[in-house]
Amino acid sequence: MRVVLESLGALVLGLVIGALIMAVWGRDPWASYRALFEGAWGNTRALASSVSRSLPLVLTGLTFAIGVRAGLFNIGAQGQMIIGAIVGLSSALLALPAGFKLPVAMVLSALAGVLWALPVALLKLLRGVSEVISTIMLNWVAHWLALYLVVRKLSDPVRGERTFQVPVGMRFPLIQGELTWALVVSLLAALFLYWLLWYHAKGYEIRAAGLNPKAATTAGISVRRSILLAILLGGACAAWAGAIQVLGRFPYAITSDLAILGSLGFDGIAVALIGRNHPLGVLAGAFFFGTLATGAARMGLRGIPIDMIQIIQGVIVVSMAIPEAFRLLRVKKTSVPTKGKS
Amino acid sequence: MAENLIEARKITKVYPDGTQALFEVDFAVQAGEVHGLLGENGAGKSTLTKILSGLLSPTSGTILWKGKKVRFGSPREALKAGIGMVHQHFALVGPYTGLENIALGAEGVRILGPVRTRWIGKKVENIMDRSGLRVPLDVPVEDLPVGVQQRLEILKVLVREVELLILDEPTAVLTPQEVDELFSVLRSLASLGKSVVLITHKLREVLEVTDRVTVLRHGKLVTVRPTRETSLEELASSMVGREMPRMRGRTNRSGGKEVLRVENLVVPGVGGKPAVRGVSFSVHEGEILGVAGVQGNGQTELVEAMVGLRPWTGKVELNGKSLAGLGPAQVAALGLAHIPEDRQGMGLILPFSVAENAVLGKLRPFTDRVGGLRWRKIFRSTADLIQRFSVQTSGPRAQARSLSGGNQQRLVVGRELSKAPELLIANQPTRGLDIAATHYIRETLLKLRDEGLALLLISADLDEIFELSDRVAVMYNGTFTGISPVEKLDRERVGLLMGGLTFEEARG
Repeated sequence: MRVVLESLGALVLGLVIGALIMAVWGRDPWASYRALFEGAWGNTRALASSVSRSLPLVLTGLTFAIGVRAGLFNIGAQGQMIIGAIVGLSSALLALPAGFKLPVAMVLSALAGVLWALPVALLKLLRGVSEVISTIMLNWVAHWLALYLVVRKLSDPVRGERTFQVPVGMRFPLIQGELTWALVVSLLAALFLYWLLWYHAKGYEIRAAGLNPKAATTAGISVRRSILLAILLGGACAAWAGAIQVLGRFPYAITSDLAILGSLGFDGIAVALIGRNHPLGVLAGAFFFGTLATGAARMGLRGIPIDMIQIIQGVIVVSMAIPEAFRLLRVKKTSVPTKGKS
Repeated sequence: MAENLIEARKITKVYPDGTQALFEVDFAVQAGEVHGLLGENGAGKSTLTKILSGLLSPTSGTILWKGKKVRFGSPREALKAGIGMVHQHFALVGPYTGLENIALGAEGVRILGPVRTRWIGKKVENIMDRSGLRVPLDVPVEDLPVGVQQRLEILKVLVREVELLILDEPTAVLTPQEVDELFSVLRSLASLGKSVVLITHKLREVLEVTDRVTVLRHGKLVTVRPTRETSLEELASSMVGREMPRMRGRTNRSGGKEVLRVENLVVPGVGGKPAVRGVSFSVHEGEILGVAGVQGNGQTELVEAMVGLRPWTGKVELNGKSLAGLGPAQVAALGLAHIPEDRQGMGLILPFSVAENAVLGKLRPFTDRVGGLRWRKIFRSTADLIQRFSVQTSGPRAQARSLSGGNQQRLVVGRELSKAPELLIANQPTRGLDIAATHYIRETLLKLRDEGLALLLISADLDEIFELSDRVAVMYNGTFTGISPVEKLDRERVGLLMGGLTFEEARG
């Protein structure tokens, strides 16, 4: 309960600072915020857009969140997300009955995400390599690999700037506006991890290992297995974020600037921090991000320059992420063993 | 009577949490002497020297340095005045060479650029020649053995031209040869007119190298004597005190079944020096075997090896089953429960709720077939545990962090006992607890013993050892210096054993 209040307080603070910035530059904060929230929630179409944009962020947010729960700083969602998108798209090349295409694509992309995350776990557990280092490097490998494949191997013969499109029968069906049934994927992933972490022995072990590895080990919990599980589950989630983008959002293809994927993986870190690394909080955090993304377009129509919109978004996001980031740092500091006086 | 280089008068130190570490202690060191500071864990040795070296400030009392009243605000000020301390944990930069490490401390902070060493090399050579303290200066210190690293730490302080050198338990990490070399260095420093304070709990070291000795017990000054006029026995009894606690060991031992058998257990420690060096013992049903000893003599490693947290060689059998190669979960499954010495670091997960902590390490009965947690059962069992072990808490959902130390320990003890163990290892089970909690834990352990449980008690608290144990082993430098029924021992003899004498020597 306290964490929810903290987060709401941070939200208000962020909005106030954003308002101050607008006021200083001579814009009307009240009108701008109205535009923002009307643009995001004002009608079903807008709301559908806000929700739709939050869906991949839920998944990349979960990747970071479950990492933190296991005591990791896993920033590999970006690369795993890109790989998931590529594999999801490539699954279209398999000769499969129409009804099977989408489920198979999702399964394959999850597997690809797990495989892409596996070296991170192996390097950490076998050689002691920090996951921060290995995920950053693998993010870049994924980025350039994806560019190569998009431009050289998967490109549309007619439209060289993007890959071929996902065939119609393989796309996530639309619900409303741009919102698709990918909604179910993100919701189920969040609910599953919530159940795992608080209603299952494996999740209990992950949390124990993350909060106090020494006590967990003493109690017979395998910290290594918990870390492995958290990294691999995170890989699957992030891959799905990429997959639901290509399989559920126009243009159902990847352009050579990877625009459809953007920085979804990194945004997931902020989403997780806003959501206090709780799967249900991640849902809220992602929806907030989706709201900002959709509402910003309407603010732009009101004559607020795009740069200022981004500054305000940034201020709000940073202020909301501060409480959790602060807590993470403090935990790190106090977990250093201190020598007792004698 | 030589002049006092430093003199501390009526030093009292009360820590912010209310612990009274020192009570009106007088302490003086003369120029050119090696002065031993002797006492058990918690006697106040470290606190006193931290005050002298500026790391702590006293609650009351005065310090005279060369006859003038001083007050050091920081170790830097004390160092500037001429007081240097070498701590047990070294402060060396591993990849830097010896000379770079020495220069690093001496030249002050520079943000950019390599460490400049040229200006200091000559001086270091000079000091090495005079003191006999030889250290290779051009090798990265992480490649040096611990003993050499320690000499480097001493050298670091000497370069600052100190007149008083304080060494905190310097021999704890050294091999016997390294100890000999260190002592000859200390003697030569004294002959150069420097004063040395040697903090130790090892009686032999005091007799071997010091000129005078100060003994502290429970934060109070017991005695100050010229070393020549004292003896092992006298030092031992002033260190541990004379009063006997009531013994409640069971004298009519019924000879229960052997539960634990340990033969020639060897546990590697840091830096290749074994922490446990060939220990053998057994524990029977309805018996408490107490392991006494000053902390840091291998007790931690002994316990961690037996519960599966450290690799070891030798033979450990629980009810005839070997524990070789087993991890903590497998050892626990065979019926070994463990109250860890560090309840907050090893025994509990502080951000977890009381209920989550109450099932730590025994989750199996609280899960369904697919591994789902049966929360209702967990809460019911936790409520039961809270009641049975009188844990003061607002309920099973309270964070373990919110409990007092005594209640945290009740939670740990309750949890471990609810595992229905064959053998319970209690490592420092009452350290830092208030009197009520201490009493409760001890009564609980005795009751379990009477009910037939086999217990291994590790404690640095001699009162606890005497009050609870049926048999007592004393651990010193990785070995047991003797095992004996408690009624055949007295404090003085145990004190001698804790100070490193063998059973035969202690008897004589």
